[in-house]
This record gives sequence, C-alpha cells and structure tokens, in this order.
Amino acid sequence: MTLVSQTTEAGGQNTPLKFLKTYPMEIILAALVIFLILVAPGFASTGNVLNVLRTVSMLGIIAFGMTAVIISGEIDLSVGAGAALAGCIVAWFADRFAGVFGDWGAVTVGFGVALLLGFTLGYLTGRFRQWFNVPTFITTLALFAALRGVANLITGGFPMSSFPLGFDFLGGGYLFGIPFPVYIFALTFAGMHFLMKYTSFGREVYAVGGNMEAARLSGIDIWKVKALTLGLTGALTAVSGTLIASQIGAGTGTTATGMELDVIAAVIIGGTSLFGGKGRIWGTLIGVLFLGCISNGMTLMNVSEYWQYVVRGGIILGAVLLNQVLERVR
Amino acid sequence: MSYPQPRSAALQGVQGRLDFRTVTKRYGPTVALSEFTHSFAPGQVHALMGKNGSGKSTLVKLLAGVTEPTSGTISVNGEDRHFTSPHDAFAAGIVTVHQELSLVPELSVGENIFLGRLPHRRRAGFSVVDWAGLHRRAGELLADMGLAIDSRQPVSALSVGQQQVVEIVKAMSFNPSILLLDEPTSALASREVKQLFALIERLRARGVTMIYITHRMSELFEIADTCTVIRDGHYIGSVAMKETTPSAIVGMMFGDAARATRPPRRTLDRAKPVLEVRNLSRAGHFQDVSFDLYPGEILGIAGLLGAGRTELMRAIFGADRIDGGSVTFDGRDMTGASPRDMRKAGLGYTPENRKEVGLVQSLSTADNLCMASLGPISRNGFISRRREQPHVRRQIADLHIKCGDPELPVSSLSGGNQQKVVIGKWLNRQPSVMFFDEPSRGVDVQAKRQIFDIIWQQAADGLASLFVSTELEEVLEVADRILVMHHGAVVAEVDPTKTDLTELYGLCMEGAKQ
Repeated sequence: MTLVSQTTEAGGQNTPLKFLKTYPMEIILAALVIFLILVAPGFASTGNVLNVLRTVSMLGIIAFGMTAVIISGEIDLSVGAGAALAGCIVAWFADRFAGVFGDWGAVTVGFGVALLLGFTLGYLTGRFRQWFNVPTFITTLALFAALRGVANLITGGFPMSSFPLGFDFLGGGYLFGIPFPVYIFALTFAGMHFLMKYTSFGREVYAVGGNMEAARLSGIDIWKVKALTLGLTGALTAVSGTLIASQIGAGTGTTATGMELDVIAAVIIGGTSLFGGKGRIWGTLIGVLFLGCISNGMTLMNVSEYWQYVVRGGIILGAVLLNQVLERVR
Repeated sequence: MSYPQPRSAALQGVQGRLDFRTVTKRYGPTVALSEFTHSFAPGQVHALMGKNGSGKSTLVKLLAGVTEPTSGTISVNGEDRHFTSPHDAFAAGIVTVHQELSLVPELSVGENIFLGRLPHRRRAGFSVVDWAGLHRRAGELLADMGLAIDSRQPVSALSVGQQQVVEIVKAMSFNPSILLLDEPTSALASREVKQLFALIERLRARGVTMIYITHRMSELFEIADTCTVIRDGHYIGSVAMKETTPSAIVGMMFGDAARATRPPRRTLDRAKPVLEVRNLSRAGHFQDVSFDLYPGEILGIAGLLGAGRTELMRAIFGADRIDGGSVTFDGRDMTGASPRDMRKAGLGYTPENRKEVGLVQSLSTADNLCMASLGPISRNGFISRRREQPHVRRQIADLHIKCGDPELPVSSLSGGNQQKVVIGKWLNRQPSVMFFDEPSRGVDVQAKRQIFDIIWQQAADGLASLFVSTELEEVLEVADRILVMHHGAVVAEVDPTKTDLTELYGLCMEGAKQ
C-alpha cells in the first residue's frame, strides 16, 4: 500500500537500504560465498565449485517446478520418492528390455515411461483435489510413501546397475568442462522463468494462487492450471531422478530421501509464499544455490552431519522470518 | 487474550468526550490525515463523511489503535491518550465495529460475543468454560438491546443484518463510552437498517458517543446529530444535522464536483434477445425465473438482500450449479455452462464482493486488468508486458482509473478504482453481455457517477447488461427496465419512468403491489 511512497522517499538518501530490502537473499548468498571462500578450505577451487553446481542441479530442476506448484497454492511432498522411482524405472528398463530395444533404446523408453508417469501422477493429484476435494498435501503424502515402495518392488530392494556404457555421462560427465546436469538445470531455469513470466499459463498460475475464486470467475480453468503445474513438476522430478541414477550408476529405492524437504526449503528461502500467489523462479535459483553452498561449506569445514540438519532447519525458519519482516517494512 | 474493561473512572463524569488536536498521519510522503482538529461532543451520534480516500478510514484506524498518529494528540474524556495497539483503545473505552464482519460463522452467538474472554468456572479443580453463565450473560446483553436472538444458535443461521447487530452487541459488551461504526449498513436492506437504527437510538439514550461512517446520505438525517466532513485529509467542517441539507454536505465533500446526469433513455430494438432465461431454478435460492435481455438494454434487478439476485446472476454465469430451466445466449443453448464457456460466449460478470472474488489483491492493476483476456492478448500463449500495455492503458484512460503505477498491487487502489478495474478486466474482452452485481457498493459518490457513466456508455454501444443494486434509487436511475425479485421469484416487471421509489420499495418488501 505504501510502496509508492517508500520508494520515492527512499529514492535519494536511503538507496543502500532500499537495495538491502529488495535483494535480501542475494546479499545473504553473496555474504555466505565470501565467508566460505575465506573460511572453508578449498571452497573456491574449480573442482569444488563444479561439484556444488552438480549437486544443486539435481535439486534445482525439481525446485523450479515446485515453485510453480506452490505459487498456484498447492504442494508436492512426493518429489523425493518420485525421483527415486524414476531412476529405478530407467534402471529396470535397462536391465529387462536391453534385448528388445537395444541398450540405449531401453534406457530411452524407460526414461519416457518415467516422464509420462511423473506427469500423469502429478496431473491426477491436481484432478483429485478437484474431483474428491482431497488436498494435494494428503495425496502427495500418500505418494511419498507409496512411490518409494514401488521403487523398491521394481528393484527387489537392491540397486540395479545394468546401465549401458556411457550412461554415467548424463549425471556425472562434463561438457566443455561443465557438469552435464548443469546444462539441464540452466535450461529448466530459463524455461520455467519464461513460462511463469511470458506465457498466459504462467500468469494464470499467479492468479489461481492469489485468489482462486476471482480466477474462476474470470473464466480461468483453475483445476487445469493446478493439475498442469503438478504434472510439470512430476515430469521434472523424473528428469532429475534419471540424472541422479546416472550419477550414482544405479537405480535404487533409497536415493533422494528427504529431497522433498530440500526442494521446498529452497523455494521458501527464495521468497515464494506458501499461501500462494507470490514468488519468482529467480528467487528459487538463489534458494538452491544458498542451500548447496551451505551444505558444501559445512562438509568442507567438517561440521558433523547431525549439526548440518540442525543448521538447515534453522535456515528454513530464518528465511521465512526474514521474508515476513521484510513484508512488514516494505 | 483478555480485554480490559474501561476504568471505572471513565464511566463517571464527562463520558465519551473525544478531542483531536492537530492529528496528522503520514504514510511516507502521502499525508492521509493533515492536522485534524475537532472535538466530538459526548453522547451524540456524529456522522463522518468524505469520499473514499479522504482520510475517514485513517481516522478510524487511529481511534481503533490499529495505527499510530505521526503527530498530534487524541484525548479521551480530557485525558491525552497514545494508542499503540487495539488493546489500548479498548482500555480507553473505544470500541470499533469494522465494516467487514468479524464473527466466526460456525460458533454460537454467545461465544462470538465473548470470544477471547470466555467466562470460566472451577470444576473438579480444573478451570472450565462456563457455558451456562456465558449464554445467560449473552442473553442478558441481547435482551438489554431489545433483540430477540437466541444466543445458542450459530451465527451462520442469522441474516447479515442480524449479524451486524450481534457485532454491535459484542462491541457493547466491552461497555465502551465511544463506539465507532464503520459503514454498518453497507450490506443491509432497509428493514434491517431500521432495526440497527433502533439499537443506535437506544445506545444514544444511554449516553454512548458514536462516530458513524456511511456513504448513504439519507441515513445521516435519520440518525445523526452532527456531520463532520473531511476531504483530502483535511477537516472541512462540522454541522448540526438540523441546520443543513444533503446538497450542502455533498458540497462540503466534493468542493465543486461535476454531477453526471442520466442520458435520455433510448428506444431499444427488441427484435432478438441476446440472453434468454427460461424457468431457471436453483433449490433454496431462486425458482422459475424467466426473462429476456436485449442488446443495448440495462435490465435492473431490484429486491431485498437475500431475494436471490446475486444467486441468479452467478447461476447464469455458470459459477453455481442450476437445478432446472435453460439459458440461451445469442441463440445458443448454454444451460449448465462453466464460467469459462460463458466468458468465451461473450458474457462478463463483476461480482458483488470485489475484494474477495473480483480481484487478485496480491497482483498488480495491470495483471488484474488482463486476467480475463490472457488468451486474446497473448500470441500462441506467449505474453509480455509490451503486449499487455495497450489493453492496460486503454482501460485506465477510458474508465478514469486513478492508479499511480499500474504495476503496483491493486490492493493499493481505493474501492471505486478497484471496482473500475474489475469492470475494465471484462471490457478488455469486449463482451456482448455484462452482469454488474452491486457495482456501486462501498464507493464514493463521484466514482459511482463514473461507474454509471461507463455502464450507460457501454449500453449505447450495444452492450446488454444486468444491473443489481441494494440502493433502489440507483436501480431506478440506471436501468431501462426493472425486474423485482422477492423470495427467489420474479414478482414484477416495472418501467422506471412509470414508477417511483415508494412503489418499488413496496414491491421489494411485500412481493406485490399494496
């Protein structure tokens, strides 16, 4: 409400303060990076930076989709399990159907199936909300449990690793000196940023999340919008899951445990409101980089894994508090 | 949280005296209230008038302890007060009944009255809620105000008017010496207003000072003792109601604002209706409604609150399910269509509660203006600010929407301008039929004129519209033809040039000519 006045007033004398209010997470991330360069041994080395980027990519690909889901006013808790399942499906196809489709053919078909399944489950989660009034929180909580079960059923509880030669390139390889997943990550960022900002679909996502009834009375197909954002996230989850399987060289039901938490944390750290209607893909990029740097930094500094969990919890809470406080002073 | 009772000292001596001395409130460089100085005499009903954005709400917020003044002093009963929270205002004996109802629909009337300070008693060593005592005290309060409402029934079972009254009873349970009423009648039909006024009379007889905010001129002369006018944050003047006239007050409110007058009614070509509604029913809301709407026609729907006007429009628009009947749009059967289908066919709907369902408050004015027409504006689904620009600019210019920067949240606009954004959102689609549900609710007189001008202008260009308003004089002025609804049925069709307010009121109240 007082936005105009604040900006004009802050125009002259308070420009640094205004900058601080507008880019809080960017500044904190920059401070963190400088701190880690100074304190954490080897943080700034090329190898480590590329390593951080690779880890961040797996998380970020899903987080960009999740941003859209949360802006639309929904949530998806099943992405960790979904990523594990996708990896297992690809591994299973590589194991069983190499004879039918050829080595790479089987992997491709497996990936296609995982992609389609991810999209369909997400899409149906949205439609479930429409048809049976089941909150996505519940549906995806159920999927969170069930998908991991299915992943273990497919693999028989053991890692499946009959991937063709060179498959490890997708998750572990380098292209022009940069880890391959980083390209997918960058592509997803650009695509989602464009989708949310420059397509009518993206605008509808904001409208639906900001005020469902107003959007419906404006003739927007609110359920389709929600279902599509969830479907999109499901598909991106399959992409990330396949990259993870490639990186570790196996499809297993136990990968990506707790990933949903990191994904949601990154989105929230990036300033997206859990109440829907507000958020940016750019913010999520900052969020995933922030999470990636902090956990890498702590590992380099030999902080125990248990403390890392505590710190991560503190960061999520801190980021939300910061956003609330900023909301007030703005 | 517990609310303190006003100190007993405040209950004796001069009660309810309220003085403002050079009170100023700034939001950044914006001065919402400028050196406001005035004394409100105790025991009277003081109307506070001013168009939207004049500083009325700021004054209310200051008194309710919601915001603090930038400078100046407010004193209550001669004692300087500095409110930092609503709690402080309660402690000083000031209670506010806000425009939006703050009752919890699922809870009982009694529990709502004592919400946050339920009486307790000890049982088996535990402190438990004393339900019997609560309802006894609530019953006493209600009876004391002359109301026959059972304190045990849920608030959701009450009419909006009764809810408003319960809200005031709740406020009075704090035993305030000063009561702020912020547009208490905006959602009420005339019978309910009478009930409310009876309650206000009762409170005045007890010496409660009341500050009464309204947009309805006629109410002032019925209920208020004095009228204080603010314009652009400045105190303009204060007059005794006995010594003034409506036009004098309007003059104070607007300075010299031009008054639009109704364009002459045109003869319509009633050859082919654009919208045909036949025997439409929705159980519990309306039944067997039939009418035709012609191009360029403004069809008014009159009726009391709850007569089924809004429900009828929502059902035709496809926002609610129907149980029977048919809707034909441009010769095509559209029975049971969704809002999306109706939008595509060329129908627009501006809902009555624009804040809740008309706009997405978190989005900008530009986003809201384009929200219903993302398809036509975009090219192959791609959209950009550049593509939106002309649509945003055109509506802002055509509808005289006052907004600094269209990229700022729509929530920063005044009520009248928000309403214009809702209308502009639909005009961007160039609809052939528009439903206007209470387009003038909660907007100032000037914005109201502008909105009517828009409706008339669009009608002259061939737009057919349904027009609903609780204010019957508006329906009489705006519409070419009026349908009267009563208890969910259309009971009469009248020609506004051949009837008057008294007759129309009668029809709405009784459902038939007396």
